[in-house]
Amino acid sequence: MSTRTRRDFLRLAGAAGIGAALGAAGCNTAPSEQPLSTPQGPSGDQAYMSIVHGSDPAAITRAAVEALGGMARFVKQGDDVIVKPNICVNYRTPEYAATTNPVIVATLVRMALSTGAKRVRIMDTPYTGDPETAYRESGIYDAVIEAGGEMEVMSSVKYASFDIPDGQDIRSWKIYRDVIEADVLINVPIAKHHGSSRLSLGSKNLMGVIEGANQFHRNLHQRIADLNSRVRPQLTVLDAVRILTAHGPAGGNLADVKQLDTVLASHDTITVDAYATTFFDMHPEDIGYVRLGAEMGLGEADWSKVRVEELTV
Amino acid sequence: MKSLLSSPRTWRRVRQGTQIAFLALFVYLLFEAYQGRVAHPWTDVFFRLNPLAALAAMIAGRAWIPRLGLALITVGLTLLLGRVWCGWVCPLGTVLEWVRFPRTHYRAAPPSARWRTVKYVLLAAITAAALFGNLTLMLLDPIAILTRTATTVILPSLNQAITGAEHVLYGVRIFRPAVDLVERLLRGPILPTAQFYFAANVAIALLFLGIVALNAVAERFWCRYLCPLGGLLALLSKVALFRRVVGNECNRCAQCAGTCPTDTIDPARGYESDPGECIVCLDCFAECPRSGIGYHPQWAPIWREYDPSRRAMLVSLGASAAGVALANTSAQVSDPDPHLIRPPGALDEAFGESEFLSKCIRCGACMKVCPTAGLQPSGLQEVGLKGLWTPHLVPRLGQCDYGCYACGQICPSGAIRPLPLEVKQLTVIGRAYIDVNRCLPWADNIPCAVCEEMCPVPDKAILLLAEGESPDAALAGGQQRGPAPLAENQAPRPYVVSSRCIGCGLCEKRCPLNGESAIRVYSPNEPPPPMGYV
Repeated sequence: MSTRTRRDFLRLAGAAGIGAALGAAGCNTAPSEQPLSTPQGPSGDQAYMSIVHGSDPAAITRAAVEALGGMARFVKQGDDVIVKPNICVNYRTPEYAATTNPVIVATLVRMALSTGAKRVRIMDTPYTGDPETAYRESGIYDAVIEAGGEMEVMSSVKYASFDIPDGQDIRSWKIYRDVIEADVLINVPIAKHHGSSRLSLGSKNLMGVIEGANQFHRNLHQRIADLNSRVRPQLTVLDAVRILTAHGPAGGNLADVKQLDTVLASHDTITVDAYATTFFDMHPEDIGYVRLGAEMGLGEADWSKVRVEELTV
Repeated sequence: MKSLLSSPRTWRRVRQGTQIAFLALFVYLLFEAYQGRVAHPWTDVFFRLNPLAALAAMIAGRAWIPRLGLALITVGLTLLLGRVWCGWVCPLGTVLEWVRFPRTHYRAAPPSARWRTVKYVLLAAITAAALFGNLTLMLLDPIAILTRTATTVILPSLNQAITGAEHVLYGVRIFRPAVDLVERLLRGPILPTAQFYFAANVAIALLFLGIVALNAVAERFWCRYLCPLGGLLALLSKVALFRRVVGNECNRCAQCAGTCPTDTIDPARGYESDPGECIVCLDCFAECPRSGIGYHPQWAPIWREYDPSRRAMLVSLGASAAGVALANTSAQVSDPDPHLIRPPGALDEAFGESEFLSKCIRCGACMKVCPTAGLQPSGLQEVGLKGLWTPHLVPRLGQCDYGCYACGQICPSGAIRPLPLEVKQLTVIGRAYIDVNRCLPWADNIPCAVCEEMCPVPDKAILLLAEGESPDAALAGGQQRGPAPLAENQAPRPYVVSSRCIGCGLCEKRCPLNGESAIRVYSPNEPPPPMGYV
């Protein structure tokens, strides 16, 4: 066995030093430099919120976004776009209304791409089951690939701790970095019953982009509102083609599914969520995170104060 | 035959290529089934070809297991050509062939040939124990060792190391695109989306490392002296048709004896070898300078001093009986762990714990395929020696995924019966109970409904009720705990509807309490009805 020379040792030490420096750089990179973005409100004759009814999910999705001024209001040439549907489990097909309607997701992908988006990625964290199977079972995988989007399996590597300056309960949390850094985030929840939060709507849907969602339940409604003060989708399109009225969030009985053939769209998640409570014969105040979000000034829960355009196509 | 063998070096190449191909197939099937949810129908092909698994499982289970009938191919091939499985096919053998320590280290003192008896003793002990319905020693099956080590040691550690490195690199901006690319390509198809954790991983690693380390004593130490599957194939090879024969060209140069990886070429016997020890690697053909080695039909069986004697067999039978008796008197046999949850399809009214243990060959395939890594090797404290490293569900580590039925599909011996997904979703593997002393709403009046939310059963096996509300009344009234408002300052409390709970353990997995969950799955009070019901 040859003896190790001093030079060898120095080389080794140098390499270790560089490695350590890189590691330290990695650990110290403060990821919160990203400024808070505020969703852009309507201008001119653009609606604040659109409510569109009709039997063709693609057509009502298009009409809902057109009523807000078209996709060009939200997506610019070359933008990096993330679409966040609800893909909560790996064992429900779309007719159970546990996951977002794949046609709505695919329509938004097409609209974003034809407006000039550089790429459109679709992602969610199922709370049970592997993401790939969940993507496929929900029908969203096939629809998105056909529309030209990319399905991304959310990677544990890409979560980072972000400050939540306006948070009332949580002041920082681990959030998926790409969701914060993307040019445009489109939130595509499905309206459904939910055990813990009573209803799962737009604000609740964003729990899919954080790590440690279990710990959110300690003070669920406030924490959802706090999260929504940091993760600000430019556009929320709520799927109410079919809604799940009981046994949410995963359902499993077709008797619990109600066909409403409706989508809501707005830059304001709170307005969408507030209006969506009426699908379940409830009021915005009944849902803690809607009430708290409005109190924090995240959006307008009283849709009578804003311009709403309701259409049937 | 002679003309084919006229270029022995080519033959050696062919053998090495075959080894690489089978190892590659093993690795491919490993990833094919890893975190799979749906297993490829041929993922267990190495077990199906494994005559030791077939012999032991069929003796212990007292049944012909059609799926393991493929092992007859290996038996036939061995009776024709000798231990080609060991030299050409076995992925563990290939790994051990590649691990080489400095030659000087072990040339000095080759272990006594008597050590070769050990594999026969192990084989006899396994067979005898199987007669008594015990399969504990199948832990030492070579394919099981490799599968188990890959599943619980190598792949989780590999993922941990890769992910850890990526975490560091991702913090540095210039490396981000590269990490992004690696994640996009590998995460999902190759790397699991969650880090897995396994019980007993250190013991499993030490067993594997020990086998590898024995290579320092002698080449292929495990294959020569210990492997029980090798022992079975060696017995068959004693009467194999084609065997190595030393011809008249031999000038006693001893090249062959020096190159033989199993050290079975005996200068004292005219450089002849024991067909039970020869793994047909063909290295001696390639090395022989005078082409003096042939491969011809032979009839007379060859018996050596280390081959199993009647006495040795009687001793191993006795030891085996004593061992089985010991295993059967562990406390856990009489008082099993209350949280011992077997995979869906393992138990029913007609097929109890001991029947399951008599069919489970400890191969670890179910743990390999389980998408949540909830299936864990059972430890002595849970099951005693009788069930060591058999699968059981640890919900806190991973639930039985409602959309998955892969373990029954992959199980080569039928210990876990294949259930269609619709049946599996109704199969009771346990029952959840709430610890009201720790549950947030019960103990501290803190609102929490995670268990109810997670419950995958369509009608929900957990109800949320206000104080004073009766679960029976709620069920009778078809209560669904929808939007009815609750009394001020009163957190609704979860109740388990036992008749609906299947014991999947998602509630236990997700309970937000630190440490032990406030809702835990217990072994079912009575096993589910026999298979075939819906």
